[in-house]
Amino acid sequence: MSQTSRFTRARQLTSTVLPGRRLDDYADQVTGRLRRIAAARGTGMLPFSGRSDGSIYFRDGKVAFAESTRTPGPAPHDPRAPDQPPLNKIIAILAIAEPTIDAALELLSVQSRFAKFRPSKIPDTGPVSDISLDALLAEVARRQRMLGQLSSVLSADTALARNPHIRPDTIRVSAVQWALLIRVRHGSTPRDLAWDLGRGVFGTTIEAYRLLARQLLSVAGPRPDGPGPGLAAMSFVRAVSVEKGETVPIINASAAPGCAD
Amino acid sequence: MILDEAEALLDPVSDIEGFMLACLVDASTGMIVASRKDQDDISLPTAAAGAADIANVLSQLTGELPVDGLEDVMVTFRRQLYVMRLVSPEPQILLLVILDRDRANLAMARRAIRTFCASFAA
Repeated sequence: MSQTSRFTRARQLTSTVLPGRRLDDYADQVTGRLRRIAAARGTGMLPFSGRSDGSIYFRDGKVAFAESTRTPGPAPHDPRAPDQPPLNKIIAILAIAEPTIDAALELLSVQSRFAKFRPSKIPDTGPVSDISLDALLAEVARRQRMLGQLSSVLSADTALARNPHIRPDTIRVSAVQWALLIRVRHGSTPRDLAWDLGRGVFGTTIEAYRLLARQLLSVAGPRPDGPGPGLAAMSFVRAVSVEKGETVPIINASAAPGCAD
Repeated sequence: MILDEAEALLDPVSDIEGFMLACLVDASTGMIVASRKDQDDISLPTAAAGAADIANVLSQLTGELPVDGLEDVMVTFRRQLYVMRLVSPEPQILLLVILDRDRANLAMARRAIRTFCASFAA
């Protein structure tokens, strides 16, 4: 490698954490690196540091696990009997897959430095099979589009306040929404609440939006993108690209023991 | 990334007369958890996202109106039937089944889906 190209590479790496750098450039760099690891069927981990510390673990080119210091990790999983009902298998799979996707969303969305891919022990992921990189990237992109829809109203780090006029006997919310409502203190953010509840930051942000839409919560400070025209309409359909050939993100339930019964 | 073993989870639903597509969706995040389809002309991500949006609207509705215990949602198009049913309230897992209207019997299909959902959690 020539002297010039070494400097160029160093500039590329350091520039990922420089202020003013476009997020698209970071996303292109990091996905390029991930695709090279997947193509080489690598096993090990890619560490990230900077605004979001964490790692993405690969096994034979597929994503086995991801963790970030800004998202809650999986709860200790409970090894169950192999003949458990399908719903319990789904729950066990989501208990690992959701924190992995949540962490990957954070690591791929917040500009950080990624270091050298290195051999590493892969954390125990129980019944969850590894996720193809294309499926992970498609799911991350879908979630980024969802968060983009909500960005004029709230983000994972928007301070929230509970409506002081709520009468508990008059509102009807889901169990998760109730758990979220009773934990909101003035200034709590969806990320704080996610840690409190041990749930994903993305899912908690979506639930917080639903409570905002019902005026059970309000934004405590200035809105993330300044005062907006009101609540943006959230739509899962709008977040889905219908381009032909896009990989469909699916979590494989196949690795759960006995699921092929 | 649809594998044979993942599809197996939805085998009982695919036996319904007129079956075209089925998927399990995490309604709180909109993520597809498992899927199975016999037709390529239906966009799975769009159908699943639509089901999650409908679940979202209905959960708002149940919060504001004196209704309780949502069972299922049926949408009839000229050539297709969409049947959605909540498999689990937490995590909020939704089953979407799309059927060919010319071949399906809605009452029988609804009964089969109800039985499947009951066995899913048992």
